[in-house]
Amino acid sequence: MKNINRRTALGLGLSTAIVLAGTGRSFAADPIKIGFPANLTGNAASLDAPMLNGGKLAAAEINAAGGVLGRPIELVVYDTKSDPTVIATVASQLIDSDKVVSIIAYSDSDSVLAIGPQIQKAQIPLITPGATSPKLPSQLGNEVFLACFGDNVQAAVGADFALNNLKAKTGYLLTDLGTEYTTLLSDYFVKTYEHGGGKLLGKDTYKTGDKTFTAQIAKIKALPEAPGFIYAASLVDEVTLILKQLRQAGINVPVVGGDGYDSPLLLEVGGKAAEGAYFTTHSYIGVGATPKVQKFMDAYKAANKVDPENAFAALGYDAVKLMADAITRAGAVDSAKIRDAIAATSGLDGVTGTITYRAGIAVPDKSVSVIGVKDGKLFLASEAAPTFVPEP
Amino acid sequence: MVRLLLVTLLLVLVAGVAFGAPYLMSDYFVRVLLIIALNSIFVLSLSLSNGFTGVFSLGHVGFIGAGAYVSGILSLTVAQKASLLPNLPVFMNWFSMPFLPATLTAGAFTALLAVIVGYPLMRLSGYFVSVATMGFLIIVNVVLINASNFTRGARTFTGVPLDTSLPWVFGWLVVTLFVLWRLVYSPFGRRMKAVRDDTVAASAIGIDMLNTRLSAFAIGAFFAGVGGSLYAHYLGSFSPVTFYFAMTMNLIAMLVLGGMGSLSGAIIGVICVTLLSEVLRSVERGFTIGDFIVPALFGASQVALGFIFILIMIFRPKGIMGESEFGFGLFRRSANSKIKQGEVK
Repeated sequence: MKNINRRTALGLGLSTAIVLAGTGRSFAADPIKIGFPANLTGNAASLDAPMLNGGKLAAAEINAAGGVLGRPIELVVYDTKSDPTVIATVASQLIDSDKVVSIIAYSDSDSVLAIGPQIQKAQIPLITPGATSPKLPSQLGNEVFLACFGDNVQAAVGADFALNNLKAKTGYLLTDLGTEYTTLLSDYFVKTYEHGGGKLLGKDTYKTGDKTFTAQIAKIKALPEAPGFIYAASLVDEVTLILKQLRQAGINVPVVGGDGYDSPLLLEVGGKAAEGAYFTTHSYIGVGATPKVQKFMDAYKAANKVDPENAFAALGYDAVKLMADAITRAGAVDSAKIRDAIAATSGLDGVTGTITYRAGIAVPDKSVSVIGVKDGKLFLASEAAPTFVPEP
Repeated sequence: MVRLLLVTLLLVLVAGVAFGAPYLMSDYFVRVLLIIALNSIFVLSLSLSNGFTGVFSLGHVGFIGAGAYVSGILSLTVAQKASLLPNLPVFMNWFSMPFLPATLTAGAFTALLAVIVGYPLMRLSGYFVSVATMGFLIIVNVVLINASNFTRGARTFTGVPLDTSLPWVFGWLVVTLFVLWRLVYSPFGRRMKAVRDDTVAASAIGIDMLNTRLSAFAIGAFFAGVGGSLYAHYLGSFSPVTFYFAMTMNLIAMLVLGGMGSLSGAIIGVICVTLLSEVLRSVERGFTIGDFIVPALFGASQVALGFIFILIMIFRPKGIMGESEFGFGLFRRSANSKIKQGEVK
């Protein structure tokens, strides 16, 4: 084989790079640019891809109805590949090169933490459709808003549901120590459940990726009195295994958790063992959904040829609508005014609930859907706002 | 004398770029420059063991991760330590270290770690050492996830001050390059290459194989730890999964692409891969040429990059630079490079 020499190789590479870099992009008449970085490849892709589809659907609807302030909106999309280094680079591209007025980003707290310092420095408002850590605004600053409820709210609704609907005055707590989300969820649950008069008979932990829960289950069986229910702050991969092993051990009490269960895997993997599982999430998407959600499901299916994969599709949709609403009320395409308008949002009706920010709090008060499993199907068990919310 | 003048001139130029770039270029290009310099430190330190000593280590990212976490823990403020790491042992929670000492401590820690790990591992050869060092990477990852009193476990380690700027990274790159250059093109460097090319012959002429490999491994680990610290202070927040197989593959690809036995090759590999992935990342978003519209195809950049790697491995199996150096004739070439290239018989 003939070898290409060093100089040719370098020259070839360089000229390709120049040619590729030269291929410019042309735009239609002066749209309002909203940054939409998303992890479309890598480990967060199953959440961010539906989120982007939902966001695009909302943008298309807004533009079809005449846009915002008489101008169309354009989502400036980059794939950040679930890599914090790429996220930091893309953030500066969005801010410096694309000059976006605001940003909508991510379904996980890690990615929001990675982009946060730069948007805070550039004073550009950011709405995260799906990162549920209520600590994000205090960790990053006044430019960060959540379009979803915080984990403190969903944990509180979970505790209320156990106390009032399941009539369970005693409980048992299982916590996954492997992620920020499950650890926070568990802390918030304990605060509300005990505040509401419930009594925890015991607590136990495990780590993301564990496959056998025999030790934890043996402890539950050894309790002098069976708990009324089990709160499992888990992700879907583990909770399906926990459910199966609990039912095999003859423990048939309800198991309650957060939006980490919100995946088709709960029914596919959990099967019969998933009976009696309940979880709090953003919106009930499925057979028998409310007309508002049904309308969104139909539009999503028409645009993407698939049903919404999970609630993150609806959250992406709501986040774009929330941003457009704020820009309209700001009356100008100006980052500082948009930030103030987002903070003043009140009673915005979205697919995932009504969004209102209380003064100085960047986590909205939203109602939470509690979804249960019965006869191998999901059903809406309750939709409620919490009576007591623990501090973030 | 002329050489000294030229080297000084080059250093002044580097310093000029490092301090001047933020005023002349957009933040995006400054970041791309910074990432190139940072990855150069990683790949240069990797080349010491993988390229020059023939110890194909897959555990290098383990040292980078350890360095990042050590430096991150040391540089958190006392208040942050109390809220983020409440269970930190008492002897660690009452102080906060500035950037430079934290970076040096991280480097010293990873070098020590390399001596401990390398002492048994550097006796192995060929792919045995690759698998064993990969085991080390897995151990580091599991320790980072489980030592939650120090690392917050699998949760994001956040709040590290964003101290890494272009002058810092360029400064450390110059130090790394200088130390490695002096090392590789010295009698010690000859011993490293002898061990790489023929272990039996090297031992026969009295070269201490274990000692040579271990030194190269530990020095490489020192700069990996330093780079890890710079990376931690660049990102501000990271988690154990940041320092795992994806990063390992990325660094090895850069090294192999640039040329395993060449310091300038390592840097050229980094520049090519970084610029190419940046350009491809923008192209995959779709574009229009005249009336011709190319739609967005996310993920295409990874595919294209992989394809280019295959092409380079077919046409230039020794990487872009092979074993020769690129220095405008400024620096002494390695004596055997011309023979290897087939230019001198």
